[in-house]
Amino acid sequence: MLLVVGPSGSGKSTLARAVAALLPGQFPGEWQGSLRLDDVELAREDGAELEADPPITTAGLGAGIVLQDPASQLVMERAGDDVAFGLENLAWPRGTMRPRVAEALAGVGLVGFEERRSTRLSGGEQQRLAIAGVLAPGPGVLVLDEPTAQLDPSGAAAVFRVLGSIRERRAATVVLVEHRASLAWPLADLVLALDDDGRPIDVGPPTDVLARSGKKLERAGIWLPDVVAGPPGENPTRTKATKGAAATSDGSASKRVLGPTTVLDVTELRFGFAPGASVLRSVDLAISPGERVALVGPNGSGKTTLLRLGLGLLKPAAGAVRLGGRDPRRLPPVQLARLAGYVVQDPELGFLGESVQEEVEMGLEPEQVRYAHDLAQRLRLPLEEFAERSPYRLSGGEQRRLSLVTGLARRPLLLALDEPTFGQDRRGHEALVAALDELVGEGSAVLAATHDERFVRDATDRRVELADGWIAADEPLDPRKAAS
Amino acid sequence: MTAATILAPEIGPAQRESVLGRTNPLVKLGIALVWLVGLGLTLDVRPPLILALIALVAAMELGSIHPDTLARRLAPLALAAILIALTNLLFSTHNPDPAATEVLRIGPLRITQEALEAAAGLGARVVSIVSVGAVFALTTDATYLVDSLVQLGHVSPRFAYGLLAAYQAVPRLADDLTTLRGARRLRGLREWDPRLLVGLLVRAVRHADQLSIAMDARGFGAGPRTSYRLVSWMRLDASVGGAALVILIVTLLVSR
Repeated sequence: MLLVVGPSGSGKSTLARAVAALLPGQFPGEWQGSLRLDDVELAREDGAELEADPPITTAGLGAGIVLQDPASQLVMERAGDDVAFGLENLAWPRGTMRPRVAEALAGVGLVGFEERRSTRLSGGEQQRLAIAGVLAPGPGVLVLDEPTAQLDPSGAAAVFRVLGSIRERRAATVVLVEHRASLAWPLADLVLALDDDGRPIDVGPPTDVLARSGKKLERAGIWLPDVVAGPPGENPTRTKATKGAAATSDGSASKRVLGPTTVLDVTELRFGFAPGASVLRSVDLAISPGERVALVGPNGSGKTTLLRLGLGLLKPAAGAVRLGGRDPRRLPPVQLARLAGYVVQDPELGFLGESVQEEVEMGLEPEQVRYAHDLAQRLRLPLEEFAERSPYRLSGGEQRRLSLVTGLARRPLLLALDEPTFGQDRRGHEALVAALDELVGEGSAVLAATHDERFVRDATDRRVELADGWIAADEPLDPRKAAS
Repeated sequence: MTAATILAPEIGPAQRESVLGRTNPLVKLGIALVWLVGLGLTLDVRPPLILALIALVAAMELGSIHPDTLARRLAPLALAAILIALTNLLFSTHNPDPAATEVLRIGPLRITQEALEAAAGLGARVVSIVSVGAVFALTTDATYLVDSLVQLGHVSPRFAYGLLAAYQAVPRLADDLTTLRGARRLRGLREWDPRLLVGLLVRAVRHADQLSIAMDARGFGAGPRTSYRLVSWMRLDASVGGAALVILIVTLLVSR
């Protein structure tokens, strides 16, 4: 198993696609160097086009690739059909498919899921289904490009259990791109670390790489397994966040005052997309200025829905929402935008401009533009370099940071974030924590839906847990305790 | 759970195992097509309404569809049919025609017998198309449809799977639209703007792109393929198809 690590934008996904024979060919770009998979030449050194008949495909080479987004790689409506899809393409005889499908599903812990709807599965189950589909034909090489990026902790753990068993059985050569260092490093036989420009920093067994180049990796902003990075208390970001909390909310969320000073006040909120199908059953939540609230809970527990309701983007079935004392659904957009900011889960859906510069400056007052430029600089999107780029052509991590700039630029009273740390390396994480600190220091509040326990620890002081549409827990996070 | 379930309802086991659920989707498509052509033979209001009624009764009796589900799905479509008919009634070219028979006059508004008949005929046709379409959507399993298209209809797999992908993408795009509108609103902009469509289009293309990469990576289109589920014509298909044909002919003859 080869683990590929590197800062956001270093070309990890590109490498994964190349190994899976999707590059060159499926994506435009320039190509140099040669690549061989099982003695099949995928690209020639001179960069000349390869003519092959039948065309070279990932599956045809005995390889398979699992991508980040579970939903966009499931082809069929039912789980069993989806696993069989790859077998059909390789013309497996009908009689051999059914047992193989059952076996592949069992291999990822989805026994008896054949007739289940793939759209109805949780994110973790969908991703394991995708792995089952890719593994069913028995590929020699399995490539995974941040397979757990969109999963909650239990979903990610389940995927890693599957990866662990693949490695134990030596069932396939695995190339894994992954930010979750503590889970991924222990499984790796080899680690390849890339720098900002996509050049290798080091490659070798994980312990050797850590010993030789640990410092370099850290400087490059690469997440390292916890043992090496040291306990969170020694983390500079944590110290900073603790100070911020102490200065703005007396270090204790339980002392918060309800009433007119509440930024967001949600009472007995109920919501469902269809009658009889409740997403939120009865939610009470009050957020005061200076509070940083983490909204946690499994995939599908209603976190995004609660954010949207709080911002007045959905109509509650019952209950009341007050944003800065007003009903957000009745506010004209200009006033709403002054009160609240929203960083959506999928950055592309938040983009309104055609260039990074247009995106950063859109709808801002002249005096806010300078602050926005400064923010872009701090989040490593300097406009000198990025101004003319299309937001849609940035890497996943860069897109995420751009959406953070647009959310932070107005310094709203309430900033709602949906999975803000998605795809971020350590530097992105630290810059985000610092920017949120600054915002909260000015008396704003932060409400962040997240699966990222590290972000909860470093950047928030109150943890609200949603489960099945109820608030299952609402507790202050004592900064001193969290740091110890 | 998202808005997905409203836009593309899942076909439950009861519907799938019903007579209409087991009938081959291609037969149902054929029936819809033949009925549509048949209705073109007459301008009468009654045949389309009779066929719509038969389709709806069949949906409940042979398709195991709960009347509530049917009503919920049809309500907005019925409203659309009424609006179309009304628009045609008010703006019909028959109205200003002095030769046409006047039935109603309110100030400058003149409604004629001819306009009334044309509007009613159109409204009835929309109702019948909508009803037949709803019955098809509510009793047809998407996998069954795709398998039938490829194995019996000899449609290219790429087209059939593309169709399935598009069908499955609809609910996701609806969700994307909510997010896009929200993102605009939170940046002080009007929610509805032509740019919204650009964003949605980018998304749709991106989804399609990713899916096609994932499909190609799994060997789709690289050579001959086999089928996990075998689909074949059944006696039931002939019975349902024949019955539908008889119903059409009788309806047309009776209302002559």
